[in-house]
Amino acid sequence: MRETGPAGVGGLAGERRPGDGELTERAGAAPAAHPGAEHGIIDAMPAGSSAPAAPSPTGLLTEVLRAPLNRRAWREAAYLLITGLTGLTGAVLLLVLLALGFGFVLSLLGAVLGLLLTVAGLGLARAEGRLHRRLAATLLGERIPAPRAPGARADAGLFGRLDHRLRDVSGWRQVGYVLAKLPLSLVGLYAVQWWVIGLINLTAPVRWGLFGQGDGGGILLMTPLPAGGSPTAHSFTGTLLGIPMGLVTLLIAPWFTRAVALVDRRLMRALLGPGSLAQRVRDLEETRALAVDDSVALLRRVERDLHDGAQVRLVALALGLDMVKSKLADESTLDLDAVRRLVDGAHHNATEALTELRDLARGIHPPVLDEGLAHALETLTARAPVPVQLTVDVSERPSPAIESIAYFCTAELLTNVIKHSGAARATVSAVTRPDGTLRLQIGDDGHGGAEAGTGSGLTGLLQRVRTVDGTLEIRSPQGGPTMITVDLPPRA
Amino acid sequence: MGAMRVVIAEDAAVLRELLVQMLDDRGYEVCAAVPDAEALRTAVAEHRPDVAIVDIRMPPTHTDEGLRAAIALRGEHPATGVLLFSQYVETKYATELLAGGSAGVGYLLKDRVANIAEFTAALDRVAAGGTALDPEVVTQLAGASRRTDDLATLTARERDVLGLMAEGRSNAAIAAALHVSAGTVEKHVASLFGKLGLPASEDMNRRVLAVLRFLRD
Repeated sequence: MRETGPAGVGGLAGERRPGDGELTERAGAAPAAHPGAEHGIIDAMPAGSSAPAAPSPTGLLTEVLRAPLNRRAWREAAYLLITGLTGLTGAVLLLVLLALGFGFVLSLLGAVLGLLLTVAGLGLARAEGRLHRRLAATLLGERIPAPRAPGARADAGLFGRLDHRLRDVSGWRQVGYVLAKLPLSLVGLYAVQWWVIGLINLTAPVRWGLFGQGDGGGILLMTPLPAGGSPTAHSFTGTLLGIPMGLVTLLIAPWFTRAVALVDRRLMRALLGPGSLAQRVRDLEETRALAVDDSVALLRRVERDLHDGAQVRLVALALGLDMVKSKLADESTLDLDAVRRLVDGAHHNATEALTELRDLARGIHPPVLDEGLAHALETLTARAPVPVQLTVDVSERPSPAIESIAYFCTAELLTNVIKHSGAARATVSAVTRPDGTLRLQIGDDGHGGAEAGTGSGLTGLLQRVRTVDGTLEIRSPQGGPTMITVDLPPRA
Repeated sequence: MGAMRVVIAEDAAVLRELLVQMLDDRGYEVCAAVPDAEALRTAVAEHRPDVAIVDIRMPPTHTDEGLRAAIALRGEHPATGVLLFSQYVETKYATELLAGGSAGVGYLLKDRVANIAEFTAALDRVAAGGTALDPEVVTQLAGASRRTDDLATLTARERDVLGLMAEGRSNAAIAAALHVSAGTVEKHVASLFGKLGLPASEDMNRRVLAVLRFLRD
C-alpha cells in the first residue's frame, strides 16, 4: 500500500508528467525550452534557469542589464500579451454565461436552460484552461498536467448528466482560474505596455531624424506610470532624453512581466492542474473502479475461453470415447475403420484441449515472468512475426504486479504493431529511469495514426496503466513512425 | 413408427458434428444441426421434429439465447420436445423452463452426453412428452428448498426415489437405477407421497410437477 498522507500525494502530483491521466498526442511537441521543463517542475525565479553558477555581484549586474535581451523575458511578455487578450475575452464570456445561467436558475422558469448555460460556462472554462495550459507550456515551459476530464455518463439521463457536469470540481476550479485571471490579464497587459513604451521612447531620436517632429507638437516621451505627466520633446536634443527613459523602462519591464507571469504560474498550478487531495481521492476512486472492472473482465474472458474451448473439447472427447466403447461392445458388427476415426477424433480433441488450456494459463500469468521481465520480454519478442529489437536495462526488479502490467502492455502493443501498423520492424525497450520509474517504449516503422478509441485496445491499456498511477503516451503521426511510451512506478 | 426426428442447436462445431454422428449411429434421424437460436426456430418450424437438443449459450450474446428459444418453441410447437443442455445448470433456468409445464422438456449438463445410453434415454423421454432433469438441477432445487424439515422425515431410500422421480424417471426406470423391484419402488413412492402430503397420481407428468413444486417451495 502506498502512503496517502498529504506529503506523499503532493510529491506524486509534482512528479506527474504532462499528459498524465489523459492521452496526449505530442507529435511535433513544443520544444522543451528550459532544462527541467520535462518534469513539469521549473524554477520559476528569474535568472534561475539560465545562470546555474552562484550569483556574484558582477554576475548579478550582467543579469540585470541583460534581462531585456533574455529570450525567456520575451516569451513571458508574449505569454502575457496573448493570454491577456484571451483571458479578458474568456472571462467576459464566462461572466455573461454564468450570470445568465444563475439568473435563469433563480427565476425557476427556464431552470434547465440556466443549468445548460452554466454547464456551457464550465465547458468554456475548461477550454480556456486548456488553451492557457498549452500557451504556458509553449511560452513559459510551465507544464501543468491536465485535470481529469469529467467523463461521459452515457447511462444517465439528461438530469443525471447535468448533475454529473455541475459537480465537476475541476471544472469549477478552472472557472476560478478564468475569473482570477481577469484582473491579472489587465495587470499583464499593463506590464507588456512597459515594453512597448520603452521601445517607443528608445526610438524617439531615430523618429525625429526620420520624420521630423511631425505635426509640430513635438514628440511625446511617454512614461508607463499612470500618474505624472509625460514630457514632450521639441528638439532633437530633447528626444535624446527618450533613450535613458526607454532604457530604464526596458530594464524594469522584464522584471515586471516576470512577476506577473510568476503569479499566473502559481494561479495555474493551484487551479488548472489536477490539484488537491480531493481530486487525488477521486482519481483513486476512478482507477480503483477501473482495476476492479479489469479483473472482472479478465475472469469473464477466462470463463468464456474455458467454456468455448477446453470444456467443449473435453465433452466431445468423452462423447467420442463412449461412442468407441459402444462400438467395441458388439464385436459381431465391429467396424474398425469407424472406431479408428472416432479414436483419431478423440485424440485430436484431447490435444486441442491441452493446447487451449496451456494458452489460457499463459494468458493469465506467463511462467517465464517469474524469471524477470528481461526473460519474459525476450520470449515475447522472439515469438513476434516481425523482427523486434529489444533493449532491457532494468536495474531493480519492479513488483510482480508492475512486471505483469509491463509484460501485457508490451504484448498488446506488439500485437497492435503486427495487426495494424504494417511495420517491417519494431523496437521494444524497458529501462529503469534514475527516479525508479520503469519506462517501456514500443516503437515501429509502420504507417502511424495510432489513436485511443479506435479498436486498437489503447484505451484499455491506458486504463490498466492508470490503475497503478502509470502514464501512457502515444506519438503516432500519420505516416509514422509510432512510439508509445508507458511509464510505470516501480511498486504498485 | 419411423425413426425419431431430431434438430440440434449447438454453436461448437466439434460437438455438433459428433452429436449428429452419434445420433445417426443410434438410428435417430437428424433433420438439421444449426449453430444459433435463430436458425433453430426456422429449422423446427420447417421440420417439426419430435425433439430439439438446444445449447443454452449461443451467439450472438452467449448468455441464454437457447433458453429463450426453447421457451418460444414450447409455445409455438408444443408437439416438439425440447432438451436443453449446457456446461452449467442453473436452477433459475430450470424454473423458467418448467414454468410452462414439465411435459416434453429436459435440462441436462453437457457432460451427460458422454453417457450415451443415459443421454438417449433422456432424449426419448422428452420426445415422448416426459421430463428429463439433470440430477444437479434436482440437488440444487432440494438444496434451495425451504421444506428441509419435511425432507428430513424421509428415509435415505425414499430421498433417492424422490430425486430420481424429480429427474423425470418412471417407476420402472427408478427400479432399474436402484436395482430393486418395481413393487418396492411403488411402496417407497406411496410412503413418501404420504409423508410429504403430495396428491397421489398415476400421471407421470403431474407426479413430476408435484415433486418439483414441492422442492421449489
